[in-house]
Amino acid sequence: MKNSEFIRSRWFEDIPVGEFHVFGSHSFTEKEIIEFGKKYSPETFHTSPEAAFDSEYRGLVAAELHLAAIWMKLMVDYMERFATGVQDGRRNGAGVSVRDMQWFKPVRPGHTITFTYEICEKLDRRVRDKWGIIRSRNEGFNQNNERVFSFEIDILAELAPTVKPTAER
Amino acid sequence: MDEWQNLEVGQEFETGTLTLSKRDILEFAAEFDPQPYHLEAEAAEASIFGGLCASGWQVCALMTRLVSDTFKDQGIAIQGIQTIPNMQWKIPVFAEDILCATVAIADCNRDSQLLVCDIRVRNQHQKIALTLSMTLRIAAPQSAPQSAPQSAVRSTDL
Repeated sequence: MKNSEFIRSRWFEDIPVGEFHVFGSHSFTEKEIIEFGKKYSPETFHTSPEAAFDSEYRGLVAAELHLAAIWMKLMVDYMERFATGVQDGRRNGAGVSVRDMQWFKPVRPGHTITFTYEICEKLDRRVRDKWGIIRSRNEGFNQNNERVFSFEIDILAELAPTVKPTAER
Repeated sequence: MDEWQNLEVGQEFETGTLTLSKRDILEFAAEFDPQPYHLEAEAAEASIFGGLCASGWQVCALMTRLVSDTFKDQGIAIQGIQTIPNMQWKIPVFAEDILCATVAIADCNRDSQLLVCDIRVRNQHQKIALTLSMTLRIAAPQSAPQSAPQSAVRSTDL
């Protein structure tokens, strides 16, 4: 892609604490909720609209991890559009750990969830002298602006290349 | 289902096993995590992971499946995940890896119907791929009779 010459991937050093983005929205369909439920969370309130009606949810709801998977999908879209010109799969985003993942309200067919992130911290830790760790706070809001989902995630971000130390002269 | 009333803190369950095929990895990645190291062997080999590996979220979703099936076999009905206070991905999961999990009961609050589990997912080499703590909501006890629990060891079919 010719454009890639003009899109420089962001290094760890380039990413500012406090950066905030509303980075994507997704409308959940009944079909995809059931597909995900059948594979990963086969409770009836994720797999059968009829049986779900008799559950405490009184209807079909998306599996909790479906929200996380959609977050990832929208985040990859966003990184490719805006934050980086990812070419080689080395520079961005391998997840290390998650904290305080919470679900506040059910997500039902037809609900549209909008996701936000905020860079909240750049950790001191380095991984193999090549990556730093970025901590972000991520939230999902439904069409009524009610928060349905939130978590913090630590991801690797590649350190900017440095001039070789004098020992190599 | 009220079998969970008998659960005790410290009790551990072994889940069944689940084999992750390359096709499973590619399908999940294409839909939810289309990054090169989950989609292309060459890019994956050059990446930090060293080979084509499953999305961390797929591993996490498979964990929920293993846990769900195990509790169902025990006669315990999960009503949802309340929180995952912490979770760490330890090593990548590659095609044809066989995953299973140990679920340890860390807390069991019968009044609020919450069950806190410490979970370790490991591969066929007994290496831990994912660790987490998870708080589950459990169905209120019912008086309806339940069928006898099936074997706790089984293989999950996706």
